[in-house]
Amino acid sequence: MRTAANLGATLAAGAVAVYLPFTLDPGNLALYTLMGLSAIVAIGLSLLMGFAGQISLGQGAFYALGAYVVGILATPPDLFPKGRGLDPLLALGAAPLACALVGAVVGVPLLRLRGHYLAFATLALHLIMLALVFTWESWTGGQIGLIGIPPLEVAGHEITGERHAAVVWTIAVVTLLIALSLVASRAGRALRAIASSEASAAAAGINVASYKLRLFVLSAGLAGLAGGLYAYLLQYLSPDAFPLIVSITFVVMVAVGGMGSLYGAVLGAIAITWLQDRLQHLGTRQELLGFDLPVQAPQVFSIGVFGAILIVVMLFFPRGLLPGLQELGRRARRPAPASSS
Amino acid sequence: MREFIQLVVIGISTGSAFALVGIGMVLIHRTSGIVNFAQGVFAVLGGLLMVSFVDDMPTGLAGLISVLIVAVIGAAMGFIAVGIRGRTTPLASLIITLGLALVASSLELLKFGDRPHTYEAISEHAWNIQGVVVQPQYALVVGVTVAVALLLTLALRRTIVGHALVACADSARAAELVGLNVRTVAMIAFAVSAGLSALGGLLLTPVVPVNYDSDVAIAVNAFAAAAFGGLGSIGLALVGGLVLGISEQLVVGYIDPQYNLAIALVIMLVLIGWRSRHEVAT
Repeated sequence: MRTAANLGATLAAGAVAVYLPFTLDPGNLALYTLMGLSAIVAIGLSLLMGFAGQISLGQGAFYALGAYVVGILATPPDLFPKGRGLDPLLALGAAPLACALVGAVVGVPLLRLRGHYLAFATLALHLIMLALVFTWESWTGGQIGLIGIPPLEVAGHEITGERHAAVVWTIAVVTLLIALSLVASRAGRALRAIASSEASAAAAGINVASYKLRLFVLSAGLAGLAGGLYAYLLQYLSPDAFPLIVSITFVVMVAVGGMGSLYGAVLGAIAITWLQDRLQHLGTRQELLGFDLPVQAPQVFSIGVFGAILIVVMLFFPRGLLPGLQELGRRARRPAPASSS
Repeated sequence: MREFIQLVVIGISTGSAFALVGIGMVLIHRTSGIVNFAQGVFAVLGGLLMVSFVDDMPTGLAGLISVLIVAVIGAAMGFIAVGIRGRTTPLASLIITLGLALVASSLELLKFGDRPHTYEAISEHAWNIQGVVVQPQYALVVGVTVAVALLLTLALRRTIVGHALVACADSARAAELVGLNVRTVAMIAFAVSAGLSALGGLLLTPVVPVNYDSDVAIAVNAFAAAAFGGLGSIGLALVGGLVLGISEQLVVGYIDPQYNLAIALVIMLVLIGWRSRHEVAT
């Protein structure tokens, strides 16, 4: 009964999310699309952090890889020499596959070890990805960038503007539904067993390493899919679009939304994308509260604020901000907690 | 051949600096179980503070003051990173140190701006040994690193503080039973480790200029060096740093400077793949 109500509410909210772009002010459309893209990445990362107990500081690398796969495959050769001019939908399909493959290669040796190995390796992956984009100029356009990416096209219809936003949110909602059913399935029970105790899960015959690897590959694929959609939003790619802070921002979204909480991942993605946009505006102002702002202010604000969020959330709400606040709310409603549980 | 030796010489010195930062990571991990992401920040802060002090006072004094300031900052970060007893997991501590690193970077950006900083090396006069140029600064980095590795190993074995650090690594509960305060011990480890990394950073700054965001690459390299010994051995971290430094310089010299970090990752992956057959997954 409760799951049916939940499913109904999710579908209703999803329908609103998909319809919303057609009523939005055009000035807010790009921000709204970014929220949907971030939600797709955050759902994958939340599964990884919540159930595998592993943290990836390199989701931005997969995001960038997905975008460049689309850029190279979809751009016509007359606009970009190495472009393949493939069908945009086909190019979009290749993005998550390429990322899943890279994820599998990196993940096999690392996921058997403690969390910090994957954290540092994925971080290195992001830096390497940037170095490759800079050096393989003929394939990526280097610092100048990859120009001429066509809009997404489905059955002869160009998907731009509010239609693109609607497509992105449709994919985000579908991703959420698939992730929810995954968690509720037999595999989901195995994942929850791993999350509560890896040793007992292994003792019950669950192949812990294999589940962790599959989660990492899934999260890499989702980041690649979002990156591919991002390429169709920008229609122009350069390394400046994928600084290291992108990877860290995804971690902040999951930390706020709650590790392993899928609705939380979506809410965290929306909140942090909005916050980032606000900080950007604040930082480009001439002065704030009577202080002259330096040129670097936008960067200082977002790096500093996201760092502070990570510290506070991890200290006081280790499972995430939203689950922590829910817990507080529950305790406030029941002032006398039972001593036995 | 001459070019090869030249690259190896440079690699040994940069590798020593990685090792110094990596040894700091090992020290913190052994005493508190925390993998400190902010380790690169200590090196960057050491370099930046040195640059701002060096014009007003003797070089040695400027270095000493920079190291001490960073050690105090390190102790404060340690206090936060240990977190709340019984609630903060090692993974949460890692994310907290990531947050600390971000906050530190943003403050550095505010204070020092977005451009590389450097100061003059101890001597502009380089030795020329049969065509191979050896800068005195390189020799200084290597000498300090080896001395620190030896001293630290001795201190951990022979002094009371050293025993306390090792005891906390063995079992935090047992250490508390005999009256050690785990948080205090972790703060000492963070302070010493921060001082070492600051020393590595400020010694390398004359040859490799430092920027507010250099900390990430330093942290990745230092982690790869420390991972050589599974984050547990000072000696192996030193070896790891040297292997890493030399191979990166060879890549820079013969292939492409952009790929030097890729080497760190590949070495880390191969090594970890090899180790993971021995280490039980946890």
